[in-house]
Amino acid sequence: MKPLILASTLFASACLLVAHLRDTSIEVRAASLPKVILNAESITPRAIEQRTGEMVTHNYAQAWQDMAACVETNRTDLVNDYFTGEAKARLTHLISDQRKSGLRTHYEDRGHEVKAVFYSADGGEIQLEDRAQVEVQIFDGQKMIYSSASPRKYLVLMTPGADRWYVRSLESVGDETF
Amino acid sequence: MKTIFALALIIATAVLLAAGWVQAGGMKLRAERSAATPEEAVHALMADIQAHNWDHAYALLDHANDLQQADFVREVAGSDGSLRTYSSLQTYEIWPVHVEASHATIRVRMNWSSAVGSLDEVRDLSVVQDGSVGRVVWPKPNFANVPLQVLPVNYLRWDVIGRRSDDWGAGSVDTPQVRIISMNAVERPTGIVILGEVENEDTVPAYLNVSATLLKADGSQLAQQDTFDAIAHSLLPKQVSPYRIDFPGYRLQDVKSVRMDARPLLVPASADPVVAIENQNIIKDALGRSILKGSLLNQSGQVVNIAQVLGAFYDSSGKVIWVSDGYVDQALMPQGPVPFALDIPPDVATRVHSYHVVVNHYAAPSV
Amino acid sequence: MRRILLIWCLMIGGFALSMRAQEVELRAPSKVIAGAGFAIATTGHGSATFYLVGPNRALKRTIQLGQEITISGNDVAVSGLYQAIACGSPCANTTFQVLPSAPARLSFLLHPSRVPVSSGNAINATTFVFDRFHNTVLKSAKVDFHVSLPDGPTMTRTGQTTRGITWFEMGSTAKQGRLQIIAAMGETAEPRVIQQVASDACGLRMTAVPAGRYVKLETSAIRDCAGNPLPDGTIVSFTKTDNAGRSTIDTPIKKEKATAQFELTGRARISVACGVALGNELEVGGRP
Repeated sequence: MKPLILASTLFASACLLVAHLRDTSIEVRAASLPKVILNAESITPRAIEQRTGEMVTHNYAQAWQDMAACVETNRTDLVNDYFTGEAKARLTHLISDQRKSGLRTHYEDRGHEVKAVFYSADGGEIQLEDRAQVEVQIFDGQKMIYSSASPRKYLVLMTPGADRWYVRSLESVGDETF
Repeated sequence: MKTIFALALIIATAVLLAAGWVQAGGMKLRAERSAATPEEAVHALMADIQAHNWDHAYALLDHANDLQQADFVREVAGSDGSLRTYSSLQTYEIWPVHVEASHATIRVRMNWSSAVGSLDEVRDLSVVQDGSVGRVVWPKPNFANVPLQVLPVNYLRWDVIGRRSDDWGAGSVDTPQVRIISMNAVERPTGIVILGEVENEDTVPAYLNVSATLLKADGSQLAQQDTFDAIAHSLLPKQVSPYRIDFPGYRLQDVKSVRMDARPLLVPASADPVVAIENQNIIKDALGRSILKGSLLNQSGQVVNIAQVLGAFYDSSGKVIWVSDGYVDQALMPQGPVPFALDIPPDVATRVHSYHVVVNHYAAPSV
Repeated sequence: MRRILLIWCLMIGGFALSMRAQEVELRAPSKVIAGAGFAIATTGHGSATFYLVGPNRALKRTIQLGQEITISGNDVAVSGLYQAIACGSPCANTTFQVLPSAPARLSFLLHPSRVPVSSGNAINATTFVFDRFHNTVLKSAKVDFHVSLPDGPTMTRTGQTTRGITWFEMGSTAKQGRLQIIAAMGETAEPRVIQQVASDACGLRMTAVPAGRYVKLETSAIRDCAGNPLPDGTIVSFTKTDNAGRSTIDTPIKKEKATAQFELTGRARISVACGVALGNELEVGGRP
């Protein structure tokens, strides 16, 4: 009896430890933003201010972080923080579909090389070309049904809010686009 | 036996009642209400004002100046939705200025607790001896006696109509264009204060909030605050308001830079009422403090229930070196002047070269 | 021995055949137009689970391998990269790009809503071109801007979009009033209106008229340097300085003029200002 009790206790402790470690690792992943490098050398029609460039870079990274968390856990509560307009509507719809189908998507974000190509004269819109290194895995339950590590290109439109820049449009485009 | 028991009960009850009276400050109150000396007379008056005991308070006054009870109550308790009507006398200090056998001058500093914080008032009261009782001579209030008249009011009013659209790229109207025209960060004994002025450069009214963020050397945020009520939030076209943002407990040595943010909103507004600010002067008050005093004259036909005065003080180079604000606890009746006073820190007062005062006003919606 | 070998070969062959029967292949067009239905060809036998995952879609259904999978236009309305996956054993997938369809919508931003007259390059018009599914149209498209000025005829400027965006800047004219710009592309037109407003006051002057113990002040018509009257409601500040101290009245312009009244207790100096524009100063009161 005693060995049985001891074994059960050890097993339960191990399970708890693994669960904790798993949670910690998710937290660690969530805490670190994906790497985004912004190049604004060919931006038109106006130059971007240093502070604006830093904010756009930071908020874009946060948007990707939130998106990865949303599509992995099928939660929509993070969608409002850095997404607006059409991008927010599409992401919300995707999560809703994933929930119904029992699917989830895992992004392994290895960084973004972003080129700012348009910044409106009144500072209200900024367009970015993103060359992203993102590994995508799609799961049906626990079974991985798709995996791809090919680089992807995105055309992004961001607009300013009260205290941050929001992703208004995030469209994956073909290789020939830029 | 029964009689003795009943007597004992009555005596015990009386003793307990007396003890309770003493415990509740009855002796002190009696001393205060005795009014035998000039200080006691003023104490008694203040106690009655605190307790809103107007009849007794009025009875303590000297009526030689024909002061009516209604006028006395109107002045002390407030009227017409003024700030005083939402206030209560919290504490007071009394000290004699000049005492003689038949009359005395007693200075009283009253601290009123109001909806917008504490308000100080200092008065010098004359007390005359009436036999064994001192009677306070309350100055007759000088309410404006405006003759009945019709005053046409045709100042401009702005309304914002239509549905606010959240559709990006759909037709919309820009928020008003405002500009922070000056900013000065100073260190005071209590902390860092950001001072300056902001202008509505647009042709429509703006509702404005200004905030400041203190940044450390590495660019990270040290603290963020906004103006709260140390600004005139509603600005008409081309109107300028001073602002002050307080950061208690912080030191300039920890700050590398300050980031300012002005957030305007498009709101309905009226150009009425127009309030003139008259006879502004920097003087020393009865306590020796530097104050900017003047009077407000409501030139419109509607009552301004609560008025706030904001003053920007400039040095000889035109830099804003201090911003004071204060509330007037009397309502501004049409065409009736009402005094105001703004505190100026002693070290600032010696450097003031000029000043600019604006009035912020709140009026209860008319029925 | 031969018999055993034969049975063994038959088993291997049968196994291989059964494996081959489960090999799945998907063939989709490499590019699809948003909103247009199409078909994905499949090979193999038996049933499988089909998934279609895109920017706003995650579908799952059971299919029969060897038959075409019909994808409705609604499922590919959003442009971007899609994965079509069929899982028998193992899973097979194909990737295709959905491209935006024909331009159909314009998002037109015109700023600022109120612009001072005679300001160079102060007006900015930016247009974004989308298809009917709100996808950015990447193919270059022509957008016409029809500009109606307060003091001139209508003119048209044309822009070509790059990555779905076209823009232009223009200065405001000297006359205040309504300025309308219509962004048009084919059948689609988006009108926007902004106001050209008077800029800062120019030549601000006031006159003083004694009236008993008061002095009444009135400005002349307050206009900018181009002659446009400043809008009613703009604040004008009158300041009187005398022995009693300083008095100020902030009063709004009414019908192009601002008025104020001060009580005089002796000689006084009165000045007037509107925003950053200073007017004249007057000495009033005292003995002549």
